Amino acid sequence: MNRSVSSVRAVLITHRLLVRQLLTRGRVLALLSLGAVMVLAAVGVAASAEVEDASRTIIEVIDGLGLILVVPVVSLVFASAALGDLREDGTLVYLWLRPMDRLSVVTGAYLAALTVSVPLTMLSLGCAAAVGGATADGIVATIVATAFGVLAYSGVFVLLGLMIRNSIIWGLAYVLLWEGLFAGFSEPIGKVAVRGYARSLLANLSEVDLGSAAAANTSTAVVVCVLVAVGSLAAAAVRLDRIDVA
Amino acid sequence: MVEAVGATKSFGDVVAVSDVSFQIGSGVTAILGPNGAGKSTLFRMLCGLTQPSMGTVTVLGRNAGRDREIRGRIGLAPQQDALFDRLSARAFVALAAETHGVVEVDARTRDALERVGLDVDDPKPVGAFSKGMRQRVKLAAALVNDPDVLVLDEPLTGLDPVQRQRMIALFGELAARGKCLLVSSHVLDEVARLGSNVLVIAQGRLAAAGDYRSLRDLMDDRPHRVRVGTDRPRQLAGALVERGCARGVTVLEGAVIVDVDDIDRFGRVIAPLTVELGLRLDELVPLDDDLESVFRYLVERRR
Repeated sequence: MNRSVSSVRAVLITHRLLVRQLLTRGRVLALLSLGAVMVLAAVGVAASAEVEDASRTIIEVIDGLGLILVVPVVSLVFASAALGDLREDGTLVYLWLRPMDRLSVVTGAYLAALTVSVPLTMLSLGCAAAVGGATADGIVATIVATAFGVLAYSGVFVLLGLMIRNSIIWGLAYVLLWEGLFAGFSEPIGKVAVRGYARSLLANLSEVDLGSAAAANTSTAVVVCVLVAVGSLAAAAVRLDRIDVA
Repeated sequence: MVEAVGATKSFGDVVAVSDVSFQIGSGVTAILGPNGAGKSTLFRMLCGLTQPSMGTVTVLGRNAGRDREIRGRIGLAPQQDALFDRLSARAFVALAAETHGVVEVDARTRDALERVGLDVDDPKPVGAFSKGMRQRVKLAAALVNDPDVLVLDEPLTGLDPVQRQRMIALFGELAARGKCLLVSSHVLDEVARLGSNVLVIAQGRLAAAGDYRSLRDLMDDRPHRVRVGTDRPRQLAGALVERGCARGVTVLEGAVIVDVDDIDRFGRVIAPLTVELGLRLDELVPLDDDLESVFRYLVERRR
């Protein structure tokens, strides 16, 4: 008797289970509040008499607050919890000791994190762009940059959730120090930080100059974000296969 | 069906399981050992959840951690209490069925829940269940794929006597169908009711293996230590040594600690002896009748 589960089926089962596990009231409320801060900042930009070019300023706010803080933090919270929470609370065994291939489980977890993070971030940053007076190109740029940022960060954080305990703390340190601080100061570090490529998408598509840290062309930025996600998921599948399960 | 050859597992400097070898076929095999003896680590190695540091552990000839197909032929009820607390029992067991590639998910879920005596239509999330009910949910999830090998880590913990009886009968029924069941316990009497094959694990080592009766005899035949409370301990100690009922004695205030080789003979002799000597017998307390000391004896005997 063949007791294996097909890859597609395994992805769908894992995705369905983990969306449910990830959507806790506390998490969603906390992250909606973070999104609301973004929208409030946009309202401030629109209402300020000192802002000369609101369409440019709101893109800078989305870059400085949205792509540096909201996108990575929302991705971190959901993606690191997708398999990390199961590992820590002892329920991972119910997905691990099954005739399902590891990559399917990891992919299902990744898609579950995206299912929650993408709408949450797109909604708040998209609303902020619209409310703050961004042009149509600026709104599209915001949505695209957000989507690819979440895509890449979520891959990294699914892996992180399987690598270490207390992944939220280490993830925050990575977001704030590496992505937020070092990547902004140093161009070489910027090239190995997701932030630079998400910013490049925002700058290129909105045609707003965001400086040298956002200098990758659009196709490079898209490819890098996708490669980061795919590479991280492949590494996560290997890690899941070798992990000690409680 | 299940084989361990020189299986050893270390966590840093701590050796959880040391050089354990055995072969198990169909039927119920009880893994008996005190808490912390290494039973759960052994089970985790069997299921591939952790790889042995040395040696091999195989299920149906293969390593469960590396072989996807074998994972579909194992049912595990882990010791830890963690479940997906927001799911109902039905959703939890159906999830287990789906993740095992079971075709008739609804029918098999219903059957598994009924076998463990849980209400299929109970909408309550398992997070609101009692310990015993959660235990039965885990058992139903382990049964739902009709596995060839069932690994049940302390499955009777938290169950009431009626449910225990029901589960033991269920284990017997599965064994009769040719399944291989490994059931761990730290309760000797529980093991007696589970079946005849027993592996005793103590301090990470296989202390004894075989049929329950021979093991029980072995445990009864070991030297015992008993405290006998009396008003004249010195006189009683002398009489016990003189009549060959004691291997050694320690006289205390109001009591004698007696080392005994034949506990049955000692039990027959002690009361008539105190009557004969005109002593008061205040108490008779076995000092090493807990499982820990039984295991310790078995380990020492093995060295």
